[in-house]
Amino acid sequence: MKTSLVTSAVLHALVLTWALVSLGSPEAFEVSDSEALPVEMVPIEELTQTQQGVKEAPKAEKSSPTPTKRPDRVENAENAGDNDVDLKTPPTPDAKPLNTESAAAPEKTEKALPTPDPVKEEIEEQTEEKPASEPATEVAALPTPKEEVKPEPEPEEAPAEEQPAENPEAEALPDKIPTPMAKPKVEAQAQTAKTPDRKNEEAKKETKKAASAKESDFNADEVAALLNKTEPSGGGAKRSTETASLGTKKTTIGNTLSQSEMDALRGQIQNNWSIIPGMADAGDVRIKVTMQLDESGNLVGEPVVEATGGSETARRALASGAARAIRKSVPFKGLPPDKYDSWSDVVVNFDPSSML
Amino acid sequence: MEQVGLAATSDVSLWSLFMQAGFVVKLVMLGLIGASVWTWAIVVDKMLKFGKVRRQLDAFEQVFWSGQSLEELYRTLSDRTTSGMGAIFVSAMREWKKSFERGARSPIGLQMRIDRAMDVTLSREAETLEARLGSLATIGSAGPFVGLFGTVVGIMTSFQAIAGSKQTSLAVVAPGIAEALLATAIGLLAAIPAVIAYNKFSADAGKLTARMEGFADEFSAILSRQIDEKLQPRQAAQ
Repeated sequence: MKTSLVTSAVLHALVLTWALVSLGSPEAFEVSDSEALPVEMVPIEELTQTQQGVKEAPKAEKSSPTPTKRPDRVENAENAGDNDVDLKTPPTPDAKPLNTESAAAPEKTEKALPTPDPVKEEIEEQTEEKPASEPATEVAALPTPKEEVKPEPEPEEAPAEEQPAENPEAEALPDKIPTPMAKPKVEAQAQTAKTPDRKNEEAKKETKKAASAKESDFNADEVAALLNKTEPSGGGAKRSTETASLGTKKTTIGNTLSQSEMDALRGQIQNNWSIIPGMADAGDVRIKVTMQLDESGNLVGEPVVEATGGSETARRALASGAARAIRKSVPFKGLPPDKYDSWSDVVVNFDPSSML
Repeated sequence: MEQVGLAATSDVSLWSLFMQAGFVVKLVMLGLIGASVWTWAIVVDKMLKFGKVRRQLDAFEQVFWSGQSLEELYRTLSDRTTSGMGAIFVSAMREWKKSFERGARSPIGLQMRIDRAMDVTLSREAETLEARLGSLATIGSAGPFVGLFGTVVGIMTSFQAIAGSKQTSLAVVAPGIAEALLATAIGLLAAIPAVIAYNKFSADAGKLTARMEGFADEFSAILSRQIDEKLQPRQAAQ
């Protein structure tokens, strides 16, 4: 026995040593890094309840928008309209003719955004103490006419007089800067915006602006000519040839109550509904309640309770219970006001067996 | 104990699994390894012993049926330790001799005594053949349970540790469970050979015992004939 015990022990020692050596750490699984796939729940309503039409048009089987005039087709367009781009907004009526007076505004903005040029950089070097953001605020302030409201000690004609006096002062600071050749009208308007304590900086900027205007050979008229003069119009790009029929101008998603809103309404009624437990056949009864509601969630008229299935007594008991519960739970809360059309006349179904 | 299963999550080799295990699980594993050693010791021992017994039986049967005088055979065998059929033969012959030296009266009593002596020797021989097979059976049936106990304790500990660590990623859970499962693996490793060996050796022991019983019956028949032959003239003389 001793010999066999020793034999067995030696055998085990050998096997265990082999196992420890060769059955080391198993190879780790090769796991490829896969990113979580985001899943978005899209309600089917978007597809099933969209409608497009014309509000004034007569009623038809299928609502359709005003026929479009352009024949060319746009891929994947969803909203009816004559546009090249598919937009969700309804088509806008023809815009009023643009005010010619306001045409000066673009000129100013263009002036206020000088292209970077060596002269400007030179000036900035000279006026290092000036924060970098200041020109930007000043520029933004320039085209707005509101600045004119600011208390200005000088009378209306003052800018015109000040102008010549200002310019030499500005020229005096930088030595090598060429004489500004900006339009006097623009500068006069800019002057009105400034406050007296910032005169110096203002002057510098003016010289800057003038210099940049000169350097880039900027012509505001040319820019104005390039501006898009097409009339603003909304609407999509989906072409429609059918005659206009009743619907909404805009593509709308249907306004039926969502499942959760319906459940909330049902919950409010259920909370006030005390079902007597142990009622025979109560499980087979189904209750259908039809009721009219006003915007505040109050009942209009009497709710119509229909009970089907089960025994006569159970039907009667549950129907009267439902009516009581509805009367107790008005006014209903949590109904979306923008969907009033869909819940002004609402049908709620109940399964009393799930409430027992 | 809180650190168990979470200290080294990356290393899952056998040795580190064993070292990570808790006290109880380690004890179970060591016990099962010991059981495995014992099982194989018994297997080796039984294999050697059964081979030897089988060879002895073959040799004895050859000598016994060779026509050699039983007296002579008894003389050669009586002064050495015998086992198996030899022991049965010697015990029967010793009883026979004792009875005849003192002058036996009843042939039935003599027959009964010889049978009794052979039965005792036979059961003693069968007992030595079946010795330690019981522990094989115990290891075979209890090994998996002991391993399972280690696993359950290990998993409990590792779940407690996971609850303490407040994260449930598989990388945290896996080493503790792997370590716990090692206990069951060792339990099965000890139990499976034990069950197989138990079945094999108990069948072998049964066969050898049956062979010895057969010899005992045959020898008893021979002796019975001899008793009749020896006592008949004596009774006739009276």
